[in-house]
Amino acid sequence: MDKKTRAAEKSTALETLREADVALRLPAMAPPVAYPIETLVPQARQQTPAVGQRATRPDGRLHGLGQTKYIDDLAFPGMLYAKIKRAGIASARIRSIDTSAAEAMPGVMAVLVGREIPVNSFGPSLQDQPLLADDRVFHAGDGVAAVAAVTEQIAIEALDKIKVDYEPLPAVFDPLEAMKDDAPKVHAPNGNIYATKVIKKGDVEKGFAESDHIFEGQFRTQMVEHVPLEPHAAIADWDPNGRVTIHSSLGRITLGRADIARTLKLPINRIRVVATIVGGNFGGKNEITQEPILALLSKKTGRPVKGVFTRDEEFTSSTTRHPIIMDYKTGVAKNGKILARKVRLVLDGGAYCSWSETTLGKACILSAGPYNIDNLYAEALVVYTNKTMTGAMRGFGAPQVCFAYESHMDDIAAALNIDPLDIRLLNAFDEGSASPTGQVLHSVVVKDSLLKAAERFGWKEAQS
Amino acid sequence: MKRRGRGIACMWYPIGFTVSANPSAAVVKVNEDGTATLLTGTVETGQGSLTVLGQIAAEALGIATDDVHVVSADTDATPMDTGAIASRTTYVTGNAVKLAAEKAKAILFEVAAPMLGVKPDQLEAKDRQIQVKGYPQRNLPIGTVANHAQVVMGQPAIGSASYNPPTVGMDPETGQGKPFSTYVYATQIAEVDVDDETGEVNVIRIVAAHDCGTAINPMLVEGQVQGGISMGIGFALQEEILFDTNGRQINPNLTNYIMPTSLDMPEIDVDIVDSYDPTGPFGAKGVGEPTSVPTAAAILNAIHNAVGVRITSLPATSEKVLTAIQAKRTQETKRIPA
Repeated sequence: MDKKTRAAEKSTALETLREADVALRLPAMAPPVAYPIETLVPQARQQTPAVGQRATRPDGRLHGLGQTKYIDDLAFPGMLYAKIKRAGIASARIRSIDTSAAEAMPGVMAVLVGREIPVNSFGPSLQDQPLLADDRVFHAGDGVAAVAAVTEQIAIEALDKIKVDYEPLPAVFDPLEAMKDDAPKVHAPNGNIYATKVIKKGDVEKGFAESDHIFEGQFRTQMVEHVPLEPHAAIADWDPNGRVTIHSSLGRITLGRADIARTLKLPINRIRVVATIVGGNFGGKNEITQEPILALLSKKTGRPVKGVFTRDEEFTSSTTRHPIIMDYKTGVAKNGKILARKVRLVLDGGAYCSWSETTLGKACILSAGPYNIDNLYAEALVVYTNKTMTGAMRGFGAPQVCFAYESHMDDIAAALNIDPLDIRLLNAFDEGSASPTGQVLHSVVVKDSLLKAAERFGWKEAQS
Repeated sequence: MKRRGRGIACMWYPIGFTVSANPSAAVVKVNEDGTATLLTGTVETGQGSLTVLGQIAAEALGIATDDVHVVSADTDATPMDTGAIASRTTYVTGNAVKLAAEKAKAILFEVAAPMLGVKPDQLEAKDRQIQVKGYPQRNLPIGTVANHAQVVMGQPAIGSASYNPPTVGMDPETGQGKPFSTYVYATQIAEVDVDDETGEVNVIRIVAAHDCGTAINPMLVEGQVQGGISMGIGFALQEEILFDTNGRQINPNLTNYIMPTSLDMPEIDVDIVDSYDPTGPFGAKGVGEPTSVPTAAAILNAIHNAVGVRITSLPATSEKVLTAIQAKRTQETKRIPA
């Protein structure tokens, strides 16, 4: 074969390869979508006065057209993909972490471990949570190392090459067990009960003594996840001026920026946090998660770094709702009037404080229900366990205590043969009622809501 | 056999943080043509808060919702905000937006007063006009005034403000204090079918009457209530993170962690209770979190009403309900005198 033919064959072969390569690749850019550029503005958005209008959302059109850009839809030139290795063991001491095999992999640009983080702790009230566990693992979802690679697949493969040597330590999973003196301490030397709240009003023992009936009940709730459609996602870009821009699914950027500044030991004005439209929050995106890790990986590599939690990580490594064990004791008069109530709440805080103090406070304040109760004693405490941390979730303890006080209310109504609607109307707050904390309440419409719902449902009609 | 039951639950819920400061700031800029731009540091997390904040700014300036463009969530460009948490956006950020818009409006009134031959306090902003109170025939389009303010008077109509709900710290011994500025109230009534042979619970209908103060946008309030109820149904009947004995989750995926889908949704009737809070923007309070608070309680009370068993731990799975029904039957059989 002469030289010319060989060259031609080679070029054909190369071309075939190139075509195959192109065919195999996913398109780098979404195909163009045709949609009308001229928007029809619905009337409700154009009318005055604006308040009270059923105005549509400008983002609704983008959602409908699939044009909303979430974090995972954003890409920057040279961007890397980060993945976090999770401990998978609930309580352990980390003897050593060997990242050498991962670092040697082609395509892996950087690996980060906890000790490289300037201030490796965060939390909205207690800073008890490491960004990456560097000495102790407190729950199975803890991150122990992070990898930035040119593709997500390489980053995932690199995680398997990181070898962590654990020394298993005693763990405690049940909040009532964790309260015992001999229970393993999650954050030794501190005890497992890390916050308490008490609300006292009137004289609860006197109220019980004056009551015709005493009712008691224990109620329990489970741990649940927020399950937003969009998982936690962020992209960090550390620029040559030493300024870091973070696109994040964070729901509270101002406070998030301060937390990031603290962990990175950076002045606040060198951090920019940009949030896009968030694909669901429900309380789960109220604190930083991987943002400082991505920032440091970006600093190490000089490239933008993206991190998106898997659904598994959403469950195991982001906050969840507090399971609560709720003990209620209520003294009532013959007519159903509540005279005294005692409440005890034990919240399972999981491995870290997160928003537990807020949840504890709100649950305790709200635990008596929207009712006039002159004699009240409510106490709440939250304990560490070696489980996924519990934090802010739609209602901050209110759905749990509402389940308890309203179940309890129906039990009282049934025992006294009073209609559930009537017993609520008898006890509910009025305008000017004093709350359990002694606050004089205004714009109180709990009775209106009871009557309105009952009327709409046909409550009285259905009774006969 | 399917047995029908109904259950009621009411609740109260506070707006904003417990005692702690949770301020929001806002900037409102009126453009030369009378449209406006609102800068806010809060984040749209799907609830429609930016639309509501735009409506509040528009109301304060006497213009329409579509006249206000909302820029949000960039720490370099937008002012401080505590964020989308604690059902606080409409109330706290809304108050800041209203105050900021009123400051911008004050500049417009100052500029318009000599143009209309009256004092600034005689003016009002309504229907995209700056007009004299009680004599609306004397008016100027808001765009004319805004343009005059910027181009002729050199005084662009820009206002910024912040708001923090007033609270009083709680006594550490007794918990007495004013932890929140305001509260909302709600009632939900659930109707369920319980199959007493399988324990399966089917939610047929939920009637929800919610207080949010003034409904700035009734459609978005309804959306929040419907979404909250779907979360409440999952909490009541299906969702639960399970752990093995070593503290590892065993169902961290959507195959084994069961949550409601659109097929599980009951018929929902939403009522907005008439209410006005003088401390909120145009009387508004909030609605986000409370919508999922009473749902589980109402459903569990409906189960009790249907089959006479009290489930005291959530979720009320079919297994749990059936076990309780069987236990009740056994107990009743024992009671029959020999």
